[in-house]
Amino acid sequence: MSAGRHDAISAMLGEYALGHLSAEERREVEAHLLACAACTSELREYTLLMDAMARTPEPVSPPAALRQRVLGGLVKPQTPDPKPQIPLLWPLAAAAAVVLGVGATLWVARDGRRAEADLRATIVELEQRIEQFSGQTDLALSILTAGDMRPIALAGQQDAVASAARAYWSPTRGLLIVADRLPTPPPGRIYQVWLIGGGAPVSAGLLGSQGAERGMLIVPPPPGIAAGMVTVAVTDEPPGGLAAPTGAMRLVGAA
Amino acid sequence: VSDFHLVGRLAAGDKEAIAELYDRHAARVFALARRILRSDSDAEDVVQDVFSQVWRTARRYDTARGTVAGWLLVIARTRAIDRLRARRIRPEGADTPLETIAAATVAPPDQMVSDEQADRVRRALARLPDDQRLALELAYFEGFTQSEIADRLGTPLGTIKTRIRTALITLRRSLRA
Repeated sequence: MSAGRHDAISAMLGEYALGHLSAEERREVEAHLLACAACTSELREYTLLMDAMARTPEPVSPPAALRQRVLGGLVKPQTPDPKPQIPLLWPLAAAAAVVLGVGATLWVARDGRRAEADLRATIVELEQRIEQFSGQTDLALSILTAGDMRPIALAGQQDAVASAARAYWSPTRGLLIVADRLPTPPPGRIYQVWLIGGGAPVSAGLLGSQGAERGMLIVPPPPGIAAGMVTVAVTDEPPGGLAAPTGAMRLVGAA
Repeated sequence: VSDFHLVGRLAAGDKEAIAELYDRHAARVFALARRILRSDSDAEDVVQDVFSQVWRTARRYDTARGTVAGWLLVIARTRAIDRLRARRIRPEGADTPLETIAAATVAPPDQMVSDEQADRVRRALARLPDDQRLALELAYFEGFTQSEIADRLGTPLGTIKTRIRTALITLRRSLRA
């Protein structure tokens, strides 16, 4: 590398850390960094500097009420099990509804400050939905394309004989199940999905309703299911689901 | 308990862990957001944004990307500058992609900024010539691009570039001193 080029790149590192370079300049810097230890270590100092600058304002305790507002406002469950999963297509509809909501909020914006707060909340919600949606799509794809994926046909039982479901189980990626022609669950009941791998049934989560008679669930592998033969079952349970099945088995299959 | 451990617990949905992170870092997050937005109520909104984003995305937090405090402050700065920009009308074509800030400015985890270093940087910032400090503060705390700063101050772009580079070099040295 020429000394001139090194100097030119070195002079850009501060702006790189500041986020002031164009995409093309960034690529140029990054290509040089791969080959230049001196610039890499200099950039490390600049990134430390950016961090230090964020700490230059003296810490100020926010009002005590904010703590409650922040912690009380955390809604999205971080673990899938046994909370209901949002089926694949539902988030799209929800996202569309939120977009409409943004429009409506803008439309009725009379009181600026409040509308702005609403709008921000709406945008945050929209971001959450999109995150959920893309997470679900990624997970579904990774299950369907996993080398250890096994399709499992589930047959309807008892008063759900017309029902059928396809499950796709990958011990490393998780479970995708789509059920069709499901009867409406009895009042006050929901459908819960179970995996049985030799030991006690393990909840995979709740079957999300996706239009009439259709249900879907996409989840990472629940802990405690071995890689061997597995049975997938759907039962009806009280809202929220239970740790062990108690209700009637509506669908079952094994592979 | 380390911050990293707390983030691991967050990923498992542990609300006590986020309360602990809040107690440790909210004052810094709030201070930075206040400095950027110059409004307590907007800064409170940013604190809320930051911790709800952390709660939602803890599973994707990559320990290789930096310290937890550094991560929180990068989110805070990005969110606060987003709000600041939403407040003002931007000249066309003048957008610094904020994701590049987020990508480029997280300190590596093996090198935490000490309080002492932050103090030295604070003092060095105060000692910079006024024109350099102003240009750098407009860039760092207000999210202006260099051409926006040049327009705003009625100064040639090349001069602004030089001021910012010189200021950054001085401050970088102050980290070591």
